[in-house]
Amino acid sequence: MNPLLEMHGITKEYRGVPVVKNVDFTLLPGEVHALLGENGAGKSTLTKIMAGVVQPTAGVIQLDGKPATFATPAVALQSGIAMVFQETTLVPSMTVAQNLYLGEEKFLNRLRGIYISAQQFLQSLNFHVDPTATVASLGAAKKQMVEIARAVRHNARIIIFDEPTATLTPEEKHHFFALVQRLKGRGVSVVFISHALEEALDIADRITILRDGEHIVTDVIGAFDRDKIIRSMVGRSLSGELYRRREQAQVRPAGRRILSVQDLTMGSMVRNNSFSVYEGQITGLFGLVGSGRSETARIVAGAVKRDFFHGGEVRFEDRPVRYKVPAPAVKDGIVYVTEDRKLEGFFETMSIGDNMYAAMLARNLNAGGLFVNMAEMRRLADEWTQTLNIRATNKGVRAVELSGGNQQKLVIGKALLQKPKLIIFDEPTRGVDVGAIGEIHQLINRLADSGLAVVMISSYLPEIMNLSDRILVCRQGRVVEEFTPGQATEEKVMYAAVH
Amino acid sequence: MIMGPIRRAIDRFRGAGSAAITLPPMDGAIRPNQAIEVATLVLEIEAPDNLVFDGRNIFFSNGAAVLSFDPAATTPRPETIATFDHPVTCLAASAEGTVIAGLNDGAILFAAGPRKGQRLAEVGAKPSCPTALLIDGGTLIVCHGSRQNAPLNWKHDLMQLNASGSVWRIDLAGGAPTCLADGLAFPYGLAADSAREIAISESWRHRVVSARSSDTPLLDNLPGYPARLAPAVGGGYWLCVFAPRSRLVEFVLHERDFCADMFREVEPDYWIAPSLTSGRSFLEPLQGGAIKQLGILKPWAPSRSYGLLIRLDAKFLPVASYHSRADGVRHGLTSCVDLGDRVLVASKGGNAIIALDAAAQAGDAP
Repeated sequence: MNPLLEMHGITKEYRGVPVVKNVDFTLLPGEVHALLGENGAGKSTLTKIMAGVVQPTAGVIQLDGKPATFATPAVALQSGIAMVFQETTLVPSMTVAQNLYLGEEKFLNRLRGIYISAQQFLQSLNFHVDPTATVASLGAAKKQMVEIARAVRHNARIIIFDEPTATLTPEEKHHFFALVQRLKGRGVSVVFISHALEEALDIADRITILRDGEHIVTDVIGAFDRDKIIRSMVGRSLSGELYRRREQAQVRPAGRRILSVQDLTMGSMVRNNSFSVYEGQITGLFGLVGSGRSETARIVAGAVKRDFFHGGEVRFEDRPVRYKVPAPAVKDGIVYVTEDRKLEGFFETMSIGDNMYAAMLARNLNAGGLFVNMAEMRRLADEWTQTLNIRATNKGVRAVELSGGNQQKLVIGKALLQKPKLIIFDEPTRGVDVGAIGEIHQLINRLADSGLAVVMISSYLPEIMNLSDRILVCRQGRVVEEFTPGQATEEKVMYAAVH
Repeated sequence: MIMGPIRRAIDRFRGAGSAAITLPPMDGAIRPNQAIEVATLVLEIEAPDNLVFDGRNIFFSNGAAVLSFDPAATTPRPETIATFDHPVTCLAASAEGTVIAGLNDGAILFAAGPRKGQRLAEVGAKPSCPTALLIDGGTLIVCHGSRQNAPLNWKHDLMQLNASGSVWRIDLAGGAPTCLADGLAFPYGLAADSAREIAISESWRHRVVSARSSDTPLLDNLPGYPARLAPAVGGGYWLCVFAPRSRLVEFVLHERDFCADMFREVEPDYWIAPSLTSGRSFLEPLQGGAIKQLGILKPWAPSRSYGLLIRLDAKFLPVASYHSRADGVRHGLTSCVDLGDRVLVASKGGNAIIALDAAAQAGDAP
């Protein structure tokens, strides 16, 4: 079978630093091709070159056996290559339907017609999204669905998905995989980037693995298992470290009850939610998207408010608290590491030092007096870069230029700078490569070992099973079940989350 | 000065702050199981209470009588060692064979030992309300539960929102009692740590405090009403919780007019109040609740009674708990004794003395 797309000797350099080095890649018609690698391995850059978002420094691209150059994404789209980005590219102030038809507007538009057409199209994909809803009001998962729907709408021959399932529930993932199979059946080729190795093993026909910008291996799916993939990705085996099950004997003893959430209520998202958090333990909060986990954590941290009437009670260190904004919560010792780091976690155009300094100012505005203390900023950047092993090409690098794992470490560093007593991690390893996941897991363990109360919200069951001393399961806005690591199995936890 | 009442009015309007009827969850170390319900039955007897151990025999009360049995016996046969005119409300025993009893009429007297029958000075305002005793060297520590009510009228005391309890030290050789702590909301349990600091369980405030200072509780925000404290053999303590808190009761406690009507018109056994046992009469109040699951409305009626025993470490942090849940019968746990290989627990509401052996303690019953 002749390849649909061929890339030979592709190299891409930023300011003289190569991020993709002499990579060869081929895509066959109607295949699902998984592209794997750690953050910073060059996957996103390679796919952006395919989609015309960036131009290669060197190398040749052939489409249908003919040389091709994609100067812009629009050119690539005209050639039948569409990309669903990790970062949403939707217009937040417009409705779902308007986003789907963006760029295809007529001189006079009939909104009702667009909504009906969008509704039919979304239904055909099994995506339960209201086409009249404003995109800003949607959660991350639904935004991702709209993004996918938009790519599918363009009848592309090649669709590139960059981490498409990171925010989807298991049911939505099932629908997504069915969609990929349908696309494959229609002869569409799919390039699929994911950090969930099981997904790649489940749906891909072939796998290509990159490491440090270099091509490591390409082979059919039968030639891989999880351990081989991880070894190829990071150069060493991490399976045992990342996917072991926590034994009952490893459970840390509970310290003082530091947080007691009692009958917390916020609209229909959090309903009479009650649970406790103890010092020196990792409390894992598992649930499907929409189960009210993040909302509860955000209420505790003062990022959103509970109901005005009968909103319940939050007791921190046996004292009722009600934070209207995060600042007093941070002062009391509660920090929340957001799930949406790009939007809420850092200032992306600022350096590591700038971000750290801003976090320090949030704790104490008068720390530096009237002037910015550059020496203090440099010290913070050096200290936290070293402490958290943040890998950056240079000290002045902007946060946006860091890989996902290093960005996450930056957000965690900002949180730890506040000297918290309770730290809430919301999806701490979403969009983070396996190497960095291991480091973040070790860091979370160290925090609990040092006596901090840690809450870890995660939709990834192996992570919950690996790290938690207690596993709380959320469903329909409240904690419905608690498991000890000894009792918990993936089936039991998932059953509690769904039924 | 002005802000307080305004704040309270706003809280009442919003159901927040002091007017919130929220409850702490039973999770973590207090995660429900059925360990009490499946524990070994030692003795079936009506309303046993006040379990104490002098190093040889177990003593307990049953109405106005004090009984004892040998814990080593395979089939314990309790013997009556003293009977009084009023129900026994608390007991204390020492290794020298002295047993001291507090009665519902406020009297505190020797029930066994060389001074059997002698009365001790009454403590606090009369009538006295002895709810717990502890022999501490040559002195006796006494919990005086309330200035308004006798010990067995504890339900009245809770519903009246009293906080008039105190703790006293009486020199067994004679002399005036000295007050160790005052203004307590029904002190109901006592324990002394290695430094001879006295810990007090304060039922209506759902906490354990130190006699030296009640400002910083040793343990706070319990999901039930704490009863007796007992030392644990391996270090730490056992805390009996005699009834659960419920939102309905918390709500009723705020509704003073409703309470006044209830006091006038309803028998105390049928008040909307916590209880040592429930489900035995159709006249009992039910709290209707429901959850809609998979499109089906599932009703339930939370119990007014529960069986809960909490193991505390030396810093009064809960490390484990043993339960008899709403569908069980071994409710109203008021006292316990740690014998090393097992813990004897008096289920006053369940009419039984049960034994929690080491295997049951180590288990993690669902």
